[in-house]
Amino acid sequence: MKTIKVGLGTCGVSAGAQKTYEAIKNEIELQNIQAVLKETGCNGMCYREPLVEVIDEQKNSFVYGEVTPEKAKTIMNSHVLADEPVAEWLVQSTRPSEDDTFFKKQNRIVLRNCGIIDPSSITEYVATGGYEAIQRVLKEYTPERVIDVITRSGLRGRGGGGFLSGVKWKFCRDAAGDKKYIICNADEGDPGAFMDRSTLESDPHSVLEGMMICAYAIGAEEGYIYARAEYPKAVARLKHSIREALAKGFLGKNIFGSPVNFSVKIKEGAGAFVCGEETALIASIEGKRGMPRFRPPFPANKGLWGKPTNINNVETYANVPWIIMNGPEAFAAFGTDNSKGTKVFALAGKIQRGGLAEVPMGITINEIVFDIGGGIKEGKKFKAVQMGGPSGGCIPASMGDLQIDYQQINRTGAIMGSGGLVVMDESTCMVDMAKFFLRFTQDESCGKCTFCRIGTKRMLEVLERITDGNGKEGDIELLRHLAYEIRNNTICGLGQTAPNPVLTTLKYFPEEYEAHIREKRCPAHSCSALLTYSIKADACKGCMACAKACPAEAITGEKKKAHEINTAVCIKCGKCLETCKFNAVIKN
Amino acid sequence: MTREKKLKVTIDSRELEVRPNTTILQAARESDVYIPSLCTLEHLPSYGACRLCIVEVDGLRGYPTSCTTPIEEGMVIRTDTTELRSLRQEILKLLLSEHPASCLFCEEHDECKEFQGTIRKVGVTTGCRYCPNDARCELQEITEKVGLTETSYPVYYRGFSVEKYDPFYDRDYNLCILCGRCVRVCNSVRLNGTLSFKQRGKLTTIGPAFDRTHLEAGCEFCGACVSVCPTGALSAKVSKWYGKPDTQVTTTCVYCPVGCRLELQVKNNEVIDVLPNYDSPIDRGLICVKGRFAIPEYVLSPERLGTPSRLTPVGYEVISWDQAIDEAAKRLRGTKPEDKLVMVSPQLSNEDLFVAQQFTREVLGSDAVISSMMIDLGDDLVPFLELVTSSSTFDTIEDARGVLAVGFDSTYGYSPVGIRIKKAGREGALLVTLGACDSNLDMLSETAFQMEPPQWAEFLGSLVDYLARGGKGKVKIRKEWTSDIERISRIFSDSSTNILVIGQEAIFSSGRREIFEKARTLRDKLGWKIIVAHPYTNLLGMLAMGAFPGAKPGEFLKNGDAVTVDLPVIDLAKRKKVVYLIGEGRFDTIPDCDYLIYQNGLPPVASRQPDLILPASLFTESSGTTTNGEGRVLKIEKATEPFMDAKPDWWIFNRIAEKLNKGKLKYKDVAAVQAAIKKQVKGFYGGRKPVEFARINAERATKWLRGAPKQEGQSSGAGNNPSYRGIPLARVVAGMKAIDEWVNTSLLSDKEAQ
Amino acid sequence: MMLNEIVSTAVKKFGVGREQLLPVLQYVVSQEKWLSEDALLGVARAFDMSAAEVYGVASFYSFLDTKPRGDYVIRVCRTVSCDMAGKEAIMEALEKTLHISVGETTADRKFTLLETNCMGWCAEGPAMLVNDYVYTGLTPEKVVDILQGYMAGA
Repeated sequence: MKTIKVGLGTCGVSAGAQKTYEAIKNEIELQNIQAVLKETGCNGMCYREPLVEVIDEQKNSFVYGEVTPEKAKTIMNSHVLADEPVAEWLVQSTRPSEDDTFFKKQNRIVLRNCGIIDPSSITEYVATGGYEAIQRVLKEYTPERVIDVITRSGLRGRGGGGFLSGVKWKFCRDAAGDKKYIICNADEGDPGAFMDRSTLESDPHSVLEGMMICAYAIGAEEGYIYARAEYPKAVARLKHSIREALAKGFLGKNIFGSPVNFSVKIKEGAGAFVCGEETALIASIEGKRGMPRFRPPFPANKGLWGKPTNINNVETYANVPWIIMNGPEAFAAFGTDNSKGTKVFALAGKIQRGGLAEVPMGITINEIVFDIGGGIKEGKKFKAVQMGGPSGGCIPASMGDLQIDYQQINRTGAIMGSGGLVVMDESTCMVDMAKFFLRFTQDESCGKCTFCRIGTKRMLEVLERITDGNGKEGDIELLRHLAYEIRNNTICGLGQTAPNPVLTTLKYFPEEYEAHIREKRCPAHSCSALLTYSIKADACKGCMACAKACPAEAITGEKKKAHEINTAVCIKCGKCLETCKFNAVIKN
Repeated sequence: MTREKKLKVTIDSRELEVRPNTTILQAARESDVYIPSLCTLEHLPSYGACRLCIVEVDGLRGYPTSCTTPIEEGMVIRTDTTELRSLRQEILKLLLSEHPASCLFCEEHDECKEFQGTIRKVGVTTGCRYCPNDARCELQEITEKVGLTETSYPVYYRGFSVEKYDPFYDRDYNLCILCGRCVRVCNSVRLNGTLSFKQRGKLTTIGPAFDRTHLEAGCEFCGACVSVCPTGALSAKVSKWYGKPDTQVTTTCVYCPVGCRLELQVKNNEVIDVLPNYDSPIDRGLICVKGRFAIPEYVLSPERLGTPSRLTPVGYEVISWDQAIDEAAKRLRGTKPEDKLVMVSPQLSNEDLFVAQQFTREVLGSDAVISSMMIDLGDDLVPFLELVTSSSTFDTIEDARGVLAVGFDSTYGYSPVGIRIKKAGREGALLVTLGACDSNLDMLSETAFQMEPPQWAEFLGSLVDYLARGGKGKVKIRKEWTSDIERISRIFSDSSTNILVIGQEAIFSSGRREIFEKARTLRDKLGWKIIVAHPYTNLLGMLAMGAFPGAKPGEFLKNGDAVTVDLPVIDLAKRKKVVYLIGEGRFDTIPDCDYLIYQNGLPPVASRQPDLILPASLFTESSGTTTNGEGRVLKIEKATEPFMDAKPDWWIFNRIAEKLNKGKLKYKDVAAVQAAIKKQVKGFYGGRKPVEFARINAERATKWLRGAPKQEGQSSGAGNNPSYRGIPLARVVAGMKAIDEWVNTSLLSDKEAQ
Repeated sequence: MMLNEIVSTAVKKFGVGREQLLPVLQYVVSQEKWLSEDALLGVARAFDMSAAEVYGVASFYSFLDTKPRGDYVIRVCRTVSCDMAGKEAIMEALEKTLHISVGETTADRKFTLLETNCMGWCAEGPAMLVNDYVYTGLTPEKVVDILQGYMAGA
């Protein structure tokens, strides 16, 4: 009997997977097909959703992409009933397909179950070996041994800081306190990063299990998961999973029949990026304004309600059960000298295949962008990749052979961050990009430190005037100067890293800034204030289409005669360029 | 206490020994090393926002803020390097890029300073030097100290409209630098919570919820926020534009018996502003609206009496002091003692009260020196005095594990007591309030019982009975109270120190006699401490000085035996020949008389016009002492010369006595009066310890008052209507009037809602 | 449900410990779509906190609105990847269809249009949230369809 799995993660559902699922269900009932229909989460190939996997009697797997209800019908008839796979829609199977490279370079630890099991079923998680690690730990390991294993694995915090998790756990274990807490930071807010959301939606139990192991190691009986308000589905799924685990006795008093107690509460954020910073996150759980406070004392000594607290993010915890089961050496076998294991990257932007890819540390940028991501959309030129969100920076295409690990990335001026990769092509203006990220941090600053509150505002003003064509000599120096001061003089990571996007673009693309300032020209043809549109008289057929489309009535001309754009009236919306079928409109 | 071991540190290549458990900033300041800072302030929790106090520390990354970094043994700290200086300048530049700074950066700056008299006026009209706190601004001061002389950013004006609709102070958030001092002082020092940061990031502002006024938000108008503001964002209405004061005079507030220490800001012989003193042990700087804001307007009121005057058929005629003294002497001479009545205010100084009683006894030959306070209390006076004289010190609240407050609210008065109670509640003490409506303590109380005042005594009685029997035996309790009383008594019984605070509403309630009795039981049988929060400032001084019928100076003080107060019967219905009022402005309590002498700072509001007006100086204008509710003798310092021809009360008594050629009233100055007191009242100026009073025999309470005005429940001149020398503050101080009106309308709407 | 019932239900459900402040406010928002002054005062009373403090907390978080919101709160992701994927056109379509601009609510109090930070759909942008429901891979046509669904729905 064949098994059919439909990816019903939010990415699938929003791409219409629910309708596909209904269609398959319908077919099974209508034709009385002998097959098992299951739900599963996201397998990372977000660019191909809705995904349907058919597993045949020989356990061969065939994954179909972009399955509409109509396509589903065909697949049911041809593949499920007649054993004739529909080759043209296959994205991954025992047979080669162009999407194979998406998985080829991946090593899935965090995403091990994503898109394979039904995330709403604890039984499926258990069936894949889930909750074995915690049981092993409870039976055989002392807390010290757990910490030793995690330390030896070389696992670093995957939230951005990259601090050695084992060491962090030890601090918290050694801290004096009658009560300790652990927190799972699921306030993934970096623009361009979504691995935590996907992991929570597709394999929530792996995170819970990781938290249990950590709690045992540091001696905490209560855990919190702080999840973003922007992730309603992840929250719902977590709540469900916690209920399941409680019902099974995996959570609560005497978990797995051991003397250990552990309970988990979910705290929902309410839309404040800064709450991803650990002290702000703690303040938010405590019901306060999410303002970072100065450290020391560090949360490991004084965290939630003044008690020792360990904070890791979703991805970090999800690694833990695997490390316990496979040993620290197996984990450390992946990666580079200073960065062990694998890392999940979220691919977005001008890339062919956007989605999640888990790769060993040390892979190059080019491998990710081209081999996994399939290169740039519409055949354009790869220009840069933005790493680490608003705290990170832009790494130019010329450094595409850079091996990705914590050290190498830091050297570029960007940071690993949570692993968001926003790929940019030649049409992306780097000044605009820097402006974009700075506006983000500016909006999300808590407003406490002078430099972060006012300094970013002044920087943004400078960037705005540059992209508006009003840049002045000295602006670049002013940006550098402010960036340096902000970096050195703010309390929390948000402020300290806020200037990174500006600094890296200044470092790698100084000529773009100069072009804006000195020549009032945007090399990427992106800053609308610096653009002019004109019509090539010889190419214009006089069809009037652009004149009709122009919202500002800036285009004049008669039928069959070349038109003209009145630049004084033109609002530079680009409608004419889109409308013209003869490539007569040009952007300068 | 073991002496803490000092730490050895190096600050700017100086090797220093500093106290442990401090921050780098504290240690530096204590060692006279200047580090600029805007958001830090002593007595406030560290915040670390402005970043001006950054330093370099060997072994620490970057530039830690000294206000948040704990000092450690062996630290090597640099506070003034080129790098730090440039960072600090940049911080100021950024702050000033959102803070209009024409006061600092202006081409005409130097000339402006020099010719301030004229140029400044232009500046004010053209809006260039428009900051209300110009010259009293920490931001200005620090900018100069840090050496910033120009800025590269244009000023970004945020365009908030200036908030002027609340009493006492205005708010211009265009000048705000978000240092958060006001928010911290309001929340962590005053425990009031009127102010909060709102929104976040660049949109951050400060204020009450939504866009409510401070009145609506339950603000106490303690002005703590105004005092701590380092810019002109918050400015007191009366003192703005004045610039730097000439001097500062430390004195004691006489508006109520707490005895808060005040720092009077004096300029051109006028009190322009009043600031708290956070080092004062009695009030810890927690002064209330009255001390903070109600003094300048009172003492500088346009209504002030400045010359002696006499009532003639065509109105008042200004006369000289000599004429006035003659007139007074003429009227007082020859009348029989029982035809004369002297009424003194308990808000006079000890010295004035001493001379007043001496004057009455020795010169007028009468014992009838009374006060409207006595009439307020009527036949409940003796039990009241019994409690008042045995009142506990305010700091006992700090150790209390249980506090019961009856009819007490500290929004607009008694805040050092109220805040101590709140603090105790926050730190886990059981706090129970009993009142007729919401009190400002309710937010931190375990239970807030609301019932009409007549029921308070019964409730208290049930609690006392329950506690006295230790839960054993049957106690008659109203059904609806049983579970509550059981619950709170259990906690009270377990607590080591319990305090009962009797507030003004209780003192002026109809069941007060019973409340006083229950309080006595709690004190005597169950070891509770009692604090009576009454409004009569120098009541204890009045008793100690013998400005009280039937008690000579010192008789009330502890010297072994209990005292029985034998009050002569006073009949207010009987017409007097002369009534002499000193600092008494309430005319509802005085008997009819042929001749009325009125000695005060402001005219009365009454249909009975005084026949002779003697202008008296007020507490900011003459020195002396006052006795607070705990029995501490506190100094009142003269800050300015008296208003026009006004004279101290003792001086006026002296002159009349001289004229009448009677008694030994030949005082040259206050020191002479004090010497006389020292002789008669042993140990009165003994030092820091409170004066101890003899136990008053409360059982012997006689009916002494006849013909008193009918006391209607809690209505009494002194109740919720604070006054000084008989004049309601709301009459002369605009802001107090606004508060009064607000309280009345909200009481009304509360009633309507019910 | 009446406002005071909403507050008391929330308080019953979560309790009045300080850490429950956000959950209670979130519950009120889920019912009312925003925090009115009365709601906020109700919560402040229940928690024995000053109104200013509760407001200070609420106004810090962008999902705890202190301005009236429509029945359907539309939050369009403004993050860089969605922006690259054509968020502007989506915004335009929304504004045109609803006749409001960002930050506004339709006259019938049905829709509110807002921008929000990354919602984690970077590979499938542009994305938007309508209340708790995510829509990704938007096109102007799709947006109009979705809106029409909501308009017809209630």
